[in-house]
Amino acid sequence: MNIPSLTFLDFQPVLPALLLAVGGIVLLLTEVFQSAATINRAYQSMVALAFSAVAGAVAAATTLEPAREVFLGFGVSDPFSGAVTVLVCVGLGLSVLVSAGFLRHRNAERGEFYALLLFAGAGMSLLAMSNEFITLFINLEVMSVSTYALSAWLRRGTRPSEAGFKYFILGAFSAAILVYGASLLYGATGTTKLSELAGLLPAAVASNPGLTYLGAGLVAVGLAFKVAAVPFHMWTPDVYEGAPTPVSALMSAGVKATAFASLVRVFLPFAQDLGPNHAQLMTYAFAALALLTMVVGNLMALPQRNVKRMLAYSSVAHAGYLLLGVAALFARPTGGEGPLAVTPLLAGAEGAARQQTLQAILFYLLAYTVTSLGSFGALAALERREDEPRGTAWDLEKFAGLSQRKPGWALAMAAMMLSLGGIPPTVGFMGKLFIFRAAVDAGLVWLAVAGVLASAAGVYYYLRVVVYMYMRPSQDGVTVPERQWTTELALVLSTAAVVLLGVAPGTLSAWLGKASVLFSQ
Amino acid sequence: MTPLAPYLPIAAVLGVAGVLAVAISAIATFLGPKRFDPVKFDTFECGNEPIGSARQRFAVKFYVVALLFIVFDVEAVFLYPWAVNFKALGWFGYMEMVVFAATVVVGLIYVWKKGALELES
Amino acid sequence: MIPLTHHLILAAVLFCIGMAGVLVRRNALVVFMSIELMLNAANLTFLAFARDRADAAGHASAFFIIAVAAAEAAIGLAIVISVFRSRGTINMDELRTLRN
Repeated sequence: MNIPSLTFLDFQPVLPALLLAVGGIVLLLTEVFQSAATINRAYQSMVALAFSAVAGAVAAATTLEPAREVFLGFGVSDPFSGAVTVLVCVGLGLSVLVSAGFLRHRNAERGEFYALLLFAGAGMSLLAMSNEFITLFINLEVMSVSTYALSAWLRRGTRPSEAGFKYFILGAFSAAILVYGASLLYGATGTTKLSELAGLLPAAVASNPGLTYLGAGLVAVGLAFKVAAVPFHMWTPDVYEGAPTPVSALMSAGVKATAFASLVRVFLPFAQDLGPNHAQLMTYAFAALALLTMVVGNLMALPQRNVKRMLAYSSVAHAGYLLLGVAALFARPTGGEGPLAVTPLLAGAEGAARQQTLQAILFYLLAYTVTSLGSFGALAALERREDEPRGTAWDLEKFAGLSQRKPGWALAMAAMMLSLGGIPPTVGFMGKLFIFRAAVDAGLVWLAVAGVLASAAGVYYYLRVVVYMYMRPSQDGVTVPERQWTTELALVLSTAAVVLLGVAPGTLSAWLGKASVLFSQ
Repeated sequence: MTPLAPYLPIAAVLGVAGVLAVAISAIATFLGPKRFDPVKFDTFECGNEPIGSARQRFAVKFYVVALLFIVFDVEAVFLYPWAVNFKALGWFGYMEMVVFAATVVVGLIYVWKKGALELES
Repeated sequence: MIPLTHHLILAAVLFCIGMAGVLVRRNALVVFMSIELMLNAANLTFLAFARDRADAAGHASAFFIIAVAAAEAAIGLAIVISVFRSRGTINMDELRTLRN
């Protein structure tokens, strides 16, 4: 019998996830072991923040270590997964800061909330490392089940439970599709490990094309639901609107980022090992998905007067730009003719082009994470809990004249809107620049042009918020909730990140470039 | 037809059961006496008088217990393959299982302290 | 010995019934059961291929899918109950507070 042997080297890469999980357990137990009369919950957000920070620091310190398989090939530890984990921890930390003020204002602060956030973070980190379908499925579910519960967290009114329910139904539906696809791929190739899949795919396509294509297609659909690509985006606006604002922020940042990470990890073997025809097919498939997602996301966001819903559709549109990057990743770079089917990943000119594209995707994910958390953070600072059951808490009118009432909040929100719109000098502009350049380099000029046009349409509805804040008089009798220092700290941090990285992206972008390495056989 | 051969007994059982069911119902319908009176319409003709409706809602706390049972029950599935290979997996497997059990116990402690196991509150 | 294709067809039929149930039925619990059906179709496919190849990895997959399905059921039913408490119905067509 074959006894598995694991060493410390296997456990070291999952240390960030373990830290997050332990943090969650600590919060759960301290919550129930305090007596109800004297309970003090002020420490909880700080504990959650500390665990996210330490996990992020550990991940950052080990990101650039050489790529290797861990846990007998069920997972991989590569710079890419390390960078995604850092990103998740950044999103988690900001989200905890926003949550603290948000929940205190609603008297809904509990240890379980932060525990669920940390468990979701652990699932995200492990999802980025998963290199086997069942492992991937489990981690996807760890992440999703936590976010289902988080999105139904608030009990006031009918919205939160409806959001949680819709998210749960479509999330579970997509997960079932994904795992059925994985079972078909297992049938076609005899393995669930992605590293073995790469070598077995050509034979599987030759002998069992139906099973292979159907399996891959279903897995793609399952992941497309998670990244909210059109036409699998229907749940996004409802869920983002109904969920507590800090949770919507985490969903748009962390969940999306890690779903993209596993999309890349799962489908690169298909583009890489099946020859130019398949690479082209996949490029076109993802290009079509990107085009549809960019156009529909932006068009649906245009008429929204509910800012939270607008941000939800905007997150769909941003998934479109990221898909553009993914399509570019699968495309052959221009001028790269010849028998490319045997080119190993990250070798030669094509490898360099891929690394650059991966870097663009990572940078965009980071840009979107800080911007999205900042914009949802500003929204969380502004929304009054008494408006929530009626759904008027996020009206555009609430932003009217904000620059006079709360100049700091208005400035932060303006920076976020410029960044989402892709206007310099913000990180959103740099992100779009990198992504569109990667698409042009990969020969997808038409798609890049479509992306630029779509984002130009997007500028309209982002700037509308800025216009309301700076040029409309404030309505009479509209008050804003009291200040929460944690939320304001999150706003300061994300605004600083958005502007600084927009002006000087060099260091970080270089680091992400070095981290754009995927494990390959 | 060989691949279908194992299903033959099932088909036979299904056939016999179907014929029997139809036959018994038909015989009862055609030959049985039909007398309707209030006693006949009772839920139990000879037994206790029914009290209230059976379609009451049950207290939702039973649902929590049922769910907790399912969750902990399914965790036990993972103990079985380990128990079968206990000797072969050795200390490493034992330690892994201790960690696994510890996480389940943390869940149990949480549920217990939260008061979800108390039916009468 | 029942051949592999029979299991696969049964699984595919279960998967399609589940998918149709999610898309067509309006009762939240029925939709939820349909999703479980889809997961079990995946299970059956894994097990059928695993038996065909005598490969333990496929058998193990089924355990994990069952465990994940139980976790999903726990959270899903809790959410269904909170929906029922907040509006007294679990008809999906009546969940329309959140819409354009």
